[in-house]
Amino acid sequence: MSRLTAIGTVLPGWSDGKRRVVGLDEDAVTLGVAAARVVLEKAGTVPVDRVVFVSHDLPLLEGGNAAPLLAGIGLDESVVVVEQVGGAPAVLDAVAGALPGTLVIAADLLPAGAGAVLVGETGPELSVEGRVVRSMPTQSRAADGIVREYDDPRLLWEQGVRRSIEQLELTERPTVVAGLAAKQARQVCSGTPPELPVIGGAAAVFALAAIADPGGALVLAVEQANITAARVDGVPTVASVAPEVRPLPRTRTTPGPDIAISLAAYDRAFEPKLRWEAGSCDACGTLALPPRLRCLECGSEEGWSLVPLPRTGEVYTGVTVHVPVPGLPTPYSLVIVQLDDVDVRALVKVTGVEAGAMQIGDRGTLVFRRISTRTGIPDYGYAFLPEADVEAAQHREEASA
Amino acid sequence: MRRVAVVGAGMTPFREHFGLGIKDLVPMAVSEMAAHVDKGLDRSDIEAAWFGELSTTDGFPSGILADTCGLLDIPVTRVENACATGNDAVRNATYAVGSGAVDVALVVGADKVRESSTRTTFWEWAGMTRDSAWDYPLGLIAPANFALHVARYLHESPATREHMAMVAVKNHRHALPNPKAQLRFEITIEQVLAAPTVVEPFGLLDCTPQSDGAAALLLVAEDVVDRYTDRPVWVRGVGLGLDRVMHQHKRDMTSFPPTVKAARAAYAMAGIGPSDIDVAEVHDCFSGVEMISYEDLGFAERFGAHKLLEAGETSIGGRLPVNPSGGLKAKGHPPGATGVAQCVELFEQLRGEAANQVDNARMGLAHNVGGPTAVSAVTVLGIGKD
Ligand SMILES: [Zn+2]
Repeated sequence: MSRLTAIGTVLPGWSDGKRRVVGLDEDAVTLGVAAARVVLEKAGTVPVDRVVFVSHDLPLLEGGNAAPLLAGIGLDESVVVVEQVGGAPAVLDAVAGALPGTLVIAADLLPAGAGAVLVGETGPELSVEGRVVRSMPTQSRAADGIVREYDDPRLLWEQGVRRSIEQLELTERPTVVAGLAAKQARQVCSGTPPELPVIGGAAAVFALAAIADPGGALVLAVEQANITAARVDGVPTVASVAPEVRPLPRTRTTPGPDIAISLAAYDRAFEPKLRWEAGSCDACGTLALPPRLRCLECGSEEGWSLVPLPRTGEVYTGVTVHVPVPGLPTPYSLVIVQLDDVDVRALVKVTGVEAGAMQIGDRGTLVFRRISTRTGIPDYGYAFLPEADVEAAQHREEASA
Repeated sequence: MRRVAVVGAGMTPFREHFGLGIKDLVPMAVSEMAAHVDKGLDRSDIEAAWFGELSTTDGFPSGILADTCGLLDIPVTRVENACATGNDAVRNATYAVGSGAVDVALVVGADKVRESSTRTTFWEWAGMTRDSAWDYPLGLIAPANFALHVARYLHESPATREHMAMVAVKNHRHALPNPKAQLRFEITIEQVLAAPTVVEPFGLLDCTPQSDGAAALLLVAEDVVDRYTDRPVWVRGVGLGLDRVMHQHKRDMTSFPPTVKAARAAYAMAGIGPSDIDVAEVHDCFSGVEMISYEDLGFAERFGAHKLLEAGETSIGGRLPVNPSGGLKAKGHPPGATGVAQCVELFEQLRGEAANQVDNARMGLAHNVGGPTAVSAVTVLGIGKD
């Protein structure tokens, strides 16, 4: 049994024509960070000492997603991070088994979306009603990353999903199902279940977020023939970001050498770059981005401390690169942003809009993104999301318990 | 400090010299310079050399100069100062001669940009001038560095893309008679505006081409100038200026403070002001950069550069012709060679021997800005000693 203190969900604003997809600067970590920030903003000051990150699309299998995840969310380096490969049942199990102070994050790439559940001392209770683990790998992906389809949806439906549901011996039909297409979900549920925008691990969070009956709900999380059923005894507190969908802009990719990376420089920049912090001169308080030994203002070399930077600002100047650039999709826009209330400017890429869809004077926010991939290493930092897009992102559907 | 004269100047054509390596271009430029010293040059007179090269090909730059030019018994120092490299090499040699350390100094600038495929060199070149963790992964390519400045300049000043196009059109027209220039064809404002966009607000025709080439100057002390020529050109002023390296730390991006500082130093040393300049070779790697530089060099009031273009004042026949050689835009831009080649052009202009001669030119100015926009070098040459 665990309590759902708050839930956050995030959808990217891009579509490939059929479904939501991530932008070129997003991955499971950036989506997970976005969802986590949404739920933590909603929950206020609730301590988090453990993060469970569930996805089928972990950017790195070795080398670590945990540090960028914690930095992007703004959690301390001492927080435990469990990275888990899994779908909707794994997420529901993680939530059910979580101790208070646990943030369960799930991110899907196709269709794309992410959700985060903050398990705490308050909120409706979630308890597992039943669980079936069976093997019906009609879709499989090994360490080589290649997805293989065993093309027999009826086998999966009849011998996989339906048989597992029978084995659960539920006393009532579920009200919402994660991990199934809408048509199949309708066959399983009582009434008309809410349609969920994703079908992977994040679907379990969207399912919990969709609970509207004050009497609670029976939630089913399905992945192939694996199913977890859980009961929630109330309506959770939810915050969601769901920008209007636009077609993913066409870009040109030019073959060429990888952009080299210096891991020494990456390491030195990591904290301020991924936590969006400046060096504040210990002598005079002047802020420097990036932090530097010698103060920009007073020349002190006595030391500096990291302080959080504002995440809003205005474009001082900006350009759009159209010429083919090896290793980077073009076109893309770069801006120098004057941050609000501090004497700091940042040079960043523009995100969330088509290249060129910004001009000097535009306002916006700084958001966590994958700036580039350098010799296979995701290089995270911040990008500028113009305000027009922020407004679209604020079509937030909120519900309170 | 002793007075320092330029008594010889030469350069290779600026081209894509696929058939020539740096070991060919450097001695070719030096030999052309030597052949144009009025009273001849005995190479054993050369006491020291400064070699401006931004990116080395074929190995150790100073050694290549000494080896390929038959100068194995003198000290050679490589200078690298981004796009200000060439004029900084001139500056260093000027101090050596002026101080009395040497009487005869060789200055060479060269770069072999088209030595490997564009894609292969792309990130290597970008890596030289970007912060590795913060700026490099953003794709802050060379035109973008300058475009960030020019975009803000266009926002604050009355200048438009049409004015930028006027720079490109002018410099292409100027390059027509110059046999050393890389792009010897005229273009129209319409063509500039319609060209494919590289980095907004720069179209393809706003941008310098990629070039290979080398240039050489012979600098001598006033004590020995008569051995070489009766018509020397004097180094009247040199200056170098710097700024914060990251764009994020530049408060006003409508100006290049390094240029202001370098020009102030060079004018002060020469005892002149901008109104004394008759001809100038100004950094125009991208068309809008020439406009900003008019203001930084004192040729135009702040945000008044467009007026000079509208009035044709910086064209041949105007009050202050700028880039009669064609400039970086049309003559070409092998970075290490560029500043030295600007002085080659001024040497010819001030002696009345230029391919695209400016009437009665008595004082000339050469200017570069780079790194990407954190360093500038300015050299003032004149036919009068004082
Ligand atoms: Zn200070």
